[in-house]
Amino acid sequence: MISVNDLYKRIGDVQALDGLSFTAEDGQITGLLGPNGAGKTTCLRTVFGLLKPDSGSAEVEGINVAVSPQEAKQQLGLFPDPFGLYERLTPREYISFFAELNGLNRKEAKAAAEKVIHDLRLDDIADRRCKGFSQGQRMKTALAQAIVHRPRNIILDEPTRGLDVMSTRVLRGMLKDLRDQGHCVLFSSHVMQEVAALCDQVIVMANGKVVATGSPAELCAQTGHDSLEEAFIQLIGTDEGIAA
Amino acid sequence: MINKIITLARKELKDAARDKRSVMAGLYYAIGTPLVMCGLFMVLIGQLTSPEDIKITINNQDYAPDLVRYLGNEGVLHGEADDPDIKEITLTISEDYPAQMAKGQQAVVILQADKSNEKLQKSIRRLEQNLQSYSMEVGSLRLIARGIDPRVVQPIKLKVEDQSTATSRGGVILGLAIFTMIYAVFISGMNLAIDTSAGERERNSLALLLSHPVSTRELVISKIIAVSVFALLGLALILLVSKFAYTLVPWQELGFSINISPEFMLAMLLVGIPVALMAASLQIFVSFMAKTFKEAQSYLTIVLIVPLGISMMATYEIAPDTLQWLPVSGQQQAMMALVKGREIPMLQLLVSSATTLFIALVMALGLERMLKSEKVVFGL
Repeated sequence: MISVNDLYKRIGDVQALDGLSFTAEDGQITGLLGPNGAGKTTCLRTVFGLLKPDSGSAEVEGINVAVSPQEAKQQLGLFPDPFGLYERLTPREYISFFAELNGLNRKEAKAAAEKVIHDLRLDDIADRRCKGFSQGQRMKTALAQAIVHRPRNIILDEPTRGLDVMSTRVLRGMLKDLRDQGHCVLFSSHVMQEVAALCDQVIVMANGKVVATGSPAELCAQTGHDSLEEAFIQLIGTDEGIAA
Repeated sequence: MINKIITLARKELKDAARDKRSVMAGLYYAIGTPLVMCGLFMVLIGQLTSPEDIKITINNQDYAPDLVRYLGNEGVLHGEADDPDIKEITLTISEDYPAQMAKGQQAVVILQADKSNEKLQKSIRRLEQNLQSYSMEVGSLRLIARGIDPRVVQPIKLKVEDQSTATSRGGVILGLAIFTMIYAVFISGMNLAIDTSAGERERNSLALLLSHPVSTRELVISKIIAVSVFALLGLALILLVSKFAYTLVPWQELGFSINISPEFMLAMLLVGIPVALMAASLQIFVSFMAKTFKEAQSYLTIVLIVPLGISMMATYEIAPDTLQWLPVSGQQQAMMALVKGREIPMLQLLVSSATTLFIALVMALGLERMLKSEKVVFGL
């Protein structure tokens, strides 16, 4: 479970987070939907303790990130934007490195990497260096890194950007599996279809604030529109920065 | 904490070992420098021990066949005008030279050259000395012919007793060699320092690393370890190459020998550890301050001038009393003392090593703070 309480954060002249509060429950896929520049990435970085909020707090499994960052991060897996691959390492080395960082010993880390490589069908590229990987291969490697230590909570920043249809389908399947296993999945997106297809709960963000919360169906009902897209545009008051 | 540092450092080293640019930078320097130094020393020794013949224009050679023969034995020869090696020095023997010589009078020899021309100065001085000693010789003979002991006109006989030992004479040359070794510590780790800091941020893996349960202290320590390991490997390599390369130089012609003994190599490696830690933390610190990889490269080039300057001052013995307490130069002077067979100034070595470690610690703590800043992590 991830909860964010009344976050304020100013970056330069921009009020990136302006009293943001929401909760992402276990066993649910929660989508953070908002136009470009709404503060989605800032919010996720705050949950990881990479940015310090001016006020307010972020909690993971009830652990305050600002107070005990190590313990909180232990409960988290991050699929970042951009990926941050080590081009000179192979996916197998890369994945087991991050597993070790999360407290697994070498042997456990190797076994965990092997399992996730198998689950994500990475076997054919597992021992090739990441340099020159396609976007889909990079995505899978980054995703493996996020889930190798089986964190309770998984955060994905714009996960489907640059992916082809097949890779997107694989990713969606993975996220649904994770949800069914009881994980808390939180992802940010500005792609409407994706949110509609995947999310149990949608948090609509604009200008650093939550504008509306609910399932896709609830949001449609709330605004009286048939499609989530129309509902969304009405909620944030503009159609700028959204991909259909 | 220890486990995480080991994991992180292992990753850094594995990553670095596969980075051609980082490996090559150290390799080129460690292998190339001793060879270049060798070549340099060989040329130097060749010039010192057997000064090559110089060719000048001698007019009216026939008037003074004995003088010309004498100069010829000293390596000063007459060259034809179209000779490519000929120096722009003209020695003219006056027409009444034979007559005046015969009468026991002063004979005139005219030396024409541009004394402001630096390339000629050495040759001119040599020619002047040769003429002087020829003049003395003839003078002595004239005195003997008149029944006078030539020592009468030489009231002082200078006796020089050189107290330098064979190895201490090689000191300056070896000082230069030691300087190239200490510098290897700075050069070998430099590319990795940039790659692991500014490079890591540029590839976006820094933020990802920090989003895992890793403290900035663990991250900083592991990076410093990785860069130091590279720096020390560079040092070990240059020591090995030097050991073999320096045996090729004909030191015996200078009357001493330079031998890079296993004891010296071990001492150098030990002394190099604090220097490597300081170099690593300093380079990583500066690279993180830069916004991009390229910027870090240009900053570090400037930073490298500092140890270069200090080390150069130690080599040429500028302010040696102060320098022996300072980082880099203190270690260099201690190693020079070791090589010259003198007693190692232990106190100075300890103080300079402690100062070196202190700087490393300050840099490491600064880095730890720096990595907590969002500005540094995201390069804002």
